[in-house]
Amino acid sequence: MVKTVSIQINGVKIEACTDITIVQAAKENGIYIPTLCYHTDLKPSGSCGICVVEIEGRKNPERACTTKVANGMVITTNNKRLRDTRKLILEMILADHDTDCPACLANGKCELQDLCDRMGVTTRSIPKKLKKLSIDETSVAIMRDPNKCIACGRCLEVCANIQTVNALTEIGRGHRVFIGTAGDAGMGASPCVNCGQCTVFCPVGALTERSEIDMVWDALLDPAKHVVVQEAPSVRVALAEEFGMEKGLATPGKMYAALRRLGFDKVFDTNFSADLTIMEEGSELIHRATNGGTLPLITSCSPGWIKFGETFFPDLAAHVSTCKSPQQMHGTLVKTYYAKTAGIDPNNIVSVSIMPCTAKKFEARRPEMRDSGFQDVDYVLTTREFVRMIREADIDFKNLPEEKADSLMGDYTGAATIFGATGGVMEAAVRSAFFLLTGENLPAPELTVLRGVMNDIVEATVEHPKLPFPIRVAVVNGLGNARKMLEKVKRQIAENGKSEYHFIEIMACPGGCVGGGGQPFGTSLVDRSIRAKGLYTEDAALPLRYSHENPMVQKIYESYLEKPNSGLAHKLLHTHYFERSQRDGAVVKETTHNH
Amino acid sequence: MLSDKAISSIKKLTERYPRPQSALMPALMIAQKENRNHVDRSLAAEVATLVGVPESHAWGVLTFYTMYHTEKIGDYHILVDTNIPATLSGAGTILDFIRKELDIDPGEMTADGKFTLDEVECLASCGTCPVVQVNNVYYENMTVEKTGTLLDSLKKGIMPKPEAPEYFGGTECNVLLKNRLVKNAGSIDVYKNCGGYRALAKTLTMEPRAIIAEVKASDLRGRGGAGFPTGLKWELLARDSGKPAYLICNADEGEPGTFKDRQIMEYDPHLLIEGMIIAARALESKLAFIYIRGEFGWIADILEKAIEAAKTDGKMNDFDIIVHRGAGAYVCGEETALIESIEGKRGEPRIKPPFPAAEGLYGCPTIVNNVETLASIPFIIENGAAGFRKYGCAHSTGFRLFGISGNVNRPGVYEFPMGIPFDTILNAAGGTNGMLKAVIVGGLSVPILTAQEVQGLKMDYDSCLKHGTGLGSGGIMIINDTFSIPELAYRTIRFYAHESCGRCAPCRYGSDSIRELLKKIVEGDGVREDIDTILHICNNVKGVTICPAGEAFTVPIKAMVEKFRDEFEALIKC
Repeated sequence: MVKTVSIQINGVKIEACTDITIVQAAKENGIYIPTLCYHTDLKPSGSCGICVVEIEGRKNPERACTTKVANGMVITTNNKRLRDTRKLILEMILADHDTDCPACLANGKCELQDLCDRMGVTTRSIPKKLKKLSIDETSVAIMRDPNKCIACGRCLEVCANIQTVNALTEIGRGHRVFIGTAGDAGMGASPCVNCGQCTVFCPVGALTERSEIDMVWDALLDPAKHVVVQEAPSVRVALAEEFGMEKGLATPGKMYAALRRLGFDKVFDTNFSADLTIMEEGSELIHRATNGGTLPLITSCSPGWIKFGETFFPDLAAHVSTCKSPQQMHGTLVKTYYAKTAGIDPNNIVSVSIMPCTAKKFEARRPEMRDSGFQDVDYVLTTREFVRMIREADIDFKNLPEEKADSLMGDYTGAATIFGATGGVMEAAVRSAFFLLTGENLPAPELTVLRGVMNDIVEATVEHPKLPFPIRVAVVNGLGNARKMLEKVKRQIAENGKSEYHFIEIMACPGGCVGGGGQPFGTSLVDRSIRAKGLYTEDAALPLRYSHENPMVQKIYESYLEKPNSGLAHKLLHTHYFERSQRDGAVVKETTHNH
Repeated sequence: MLSDKAISSIKKLTERYPRPQSALMPALMIAQKENRNHVDRSLAAEVATLVGVPESHAWGVLTFYTMYHTEKIGDYHILVDTNIPATLSGAGTILDFIRKELDIDPGEMTADGKFTLDEVECLASCGTCPVVQVNNVYYENMTVEKTGTLLDSLKKGIMPKPEAPEYFGGTECNVLLKNRLVKNAGSIDVYKNCGGYRALAKTLTMEPRAIIAEVKASDLRGRGGAGFPTGLKWELLARDSGKPAYLICNADEGEPGTFKDRQIMEYDPHLLIEGMIIAARALESKLAFIYIRGEFGWIADILEKAIEAAKTDGKMNDFDIIVHRGAGAYVCGEETALIESIEGKRGEPRIKPPFPAAEGLYGCPTIVNNVETLASIPFIIENGAAGFRKYGCAHSTGFRLFGISGNVNRPGVYEFPMGIPFDTILNAAGGTNGMLKAVIVGGLSVPILTAQEVQGLKMDYDSCLKHGTGLGSGGIMIINDTFSIPELAYRTIRFYAHESCGRCAPCRYGSDSIRELLKKIVEGDGVREDIDTILHICNNVKGVTICPAGEAFTVPIKAMVEKFRDEFEALIKC
């Protein structure tokens, strides 16, 4: 039995669970209390004071986001005093905020803009102060504009306590306080791993991706360039919500159509290389497990996790799969396999990826990611940038006809599409590893035990009479959870010489790529879940659901790569790692060797 | 690069505290001292690693407190207190003089790198204003002439020994200031000869509950400013948490107009220590802290020496006191901000509940008491609650230190029973220097009273409330008729805007918006609506900030504007 308390909000009697806050109780009962710094997924900081309410018997208003309900509470959320206070706070914030809204990437998505609109903030009695702090452009992935920052603290909370990266800090105090990095040296000179969760949680566009839209437009409009595009699994379930369609609906067909209308010459799909990744990584797992190799094997698809590992757990480098991420496998193959097949000079190819991710921008620019002889992926656009391009081109996304990807590097199975959610890589890998070990498919492809955006850490053992050994796996999303898991692995290795796990999936972002740092602003855990559900729905509807059954994957092995982990596969599809400084992320030394 | 000596000192510090992170602030100070008075990024990173915090965290702390510098400053860092009592005593002339002499503005360094000049907030020497601080030394009772001599000496590379400040003051109760004029009262032997540590001896046979009962019966109320009953606070300490309990003495004396705790710590440190040992016995705490403002470096040394002496003398047994030095942040006087600061963090207040008595330092039950409060404990134990209640009046029992400064003839700290007529204190302090215009009686954060309103005022909680103000910290500031209230309001809000921690929007923006508006008005650019906007901000910010800082600036500003509105309107052009 859940314990409840009786409270009254604006005269309405409500039964609410004990131990929840007034904001939560109100929301559950359809009552809207304005908030700004509050976010459902974060520990409330109470910093903005917008959500103040009056509680009978208390001298001062209380913050609804941090005040727990108590039996008999009589709460007022809207009266003259509260409205005046809220409007005043908003006016004071605006006086200290760069209000050049049309030029802001968060325009139309800005929570401050929206709140001012809803609260009817129209007066300007507070003297405007124009901050002129320099914009932080030191990172290849993330931009920070302190002139927009309202010091709500969300980015700090996610960076320090959810991701445990601690790149950000408050600097200075009082009205001069702003969010920055140690020495105010910039994100690019901090331990930032580019996960971009700060950009997703930032309510005002003070933290955004480093846009590459202009470069991509230039390439698209240059007739001499052959522009090829790939799209990550989770992008296809984050577009519908941006164009007035059902949230979480998978729209790959409209996505391809939009890309063709933007002018891309070849529309491939990262899902193809996700299937390929399973072949390479699954084979790597089996090889390690049956030849006394380093275990557990840890997935390598998430570039935020990779930089985190290089920075905070360099001693575990040998555990990380040598496989490149699907983006990088795809990029390398576009400028080798595709160029060769299509007879195009790779010099003229511009390879673009659409990613739910900001860390992919950093990954694409890693000096070692040039196995094609060129920078393998030239430009990385986040989902948000892609949406902006569709808007800029006036494309009516909702009413676009469904199209298909170009087959050679565009076909995919259901195993690939679920890569976009936490547990998806593991599920896809188990589906194929089982086949590689037993010669037959699992009785059913779904491994629902591994699913769930709301789970921090999932552990499971895959057992089957036909398997030579039970496979012990763990799935982790969010870097704070990754830290916990890796510390456990280190402890186990120190104590017993080995860890209980064979295979661990780590995705940097809470919920996996569906909640990536490049996904629409304001993404909550609920949004992440809905998008994940979209991926699983697509998986269930696809005719092929095992990576090893992808005909184009079979074809590339037959015609080009020979077999998984072959010499050429190793040269093109695998990578190596570095140890990085916890101060500024700079490379200290190689930890695993170049192939 | 840190020297080996610094590294070993920092390592020792990390072991001294229950958690190594608490050593961050003193460690940064060690680093700063040996790096020509500033800490750059790489030095901060070194300290962070030693203490075990992320570098970003160390940088956040470093830039929060004003006593740390991230950029090189002059060999002599000259700080002029220009807060209200200082300004009332002519600090502005001294600042202008130094400015001209050194040809730099506040915030600047001379070309030769010798001097940096800064204007600072209340240094808690309101009775000996104007005060000029050079590095960590206070030069009090300054005049332009004395400042000239000081600068000449510094130019030659000599830090002169400061003259002993000329103190006025007096005691009618002979408790808190009884050893004030006793020679060498800081030594434990002298203290014992004057009857010290007798109360502690008495508690050795008392149950903790009995000590609390006695304090509760005395009706002692906290002397920091809020006036919360001390015995009740002690009773609220969570006893069954299974965690250690901590006692913290709040010695972050920073409320402008307040300079009383200094008198106890500097001249009678054992009185405080005895009070703390007794309190710790009552609270069954094995470790206590004295959180002392960083500017009081020499007083912290006095306390540390006295603690050592008490240990040697067998007074402490299994109990210990750590003196934790702040680094320049008014808000750390708020108990949860103070706790954060001891934990090695930015001094930002916590959301309450939980209250410290349930979850305080390191998440453990914690009691935070003011210096004067704790120093009153030995008397209560020795003379009983009834003995204490002989002083004062209903709801305001006992004796109290009143600091009186500004336009008075004999500024100083005076000990009187609570409920004493305001006039008695003013007369003891030699009366107003000039014509009395207004009075602030409880530190800068209480409403100002006009000369008329102050008539008949008694210095107790009820009478102050009746007269529309608060007893606060007992810091009385006398303002004569030569002083402009808009100027006073502007200087007041500059203080609060400077000291706002920035944690919550209403305080951060509210204090700064009022500052902008008052600046406009005193510079003659104000419009009539600005006055109403100021009042609108005061009315709406009050009560919605995370800590009492929001109240601390809205209440006095509102009172100044409302009671002296004509002076503000006179500055409006049209």
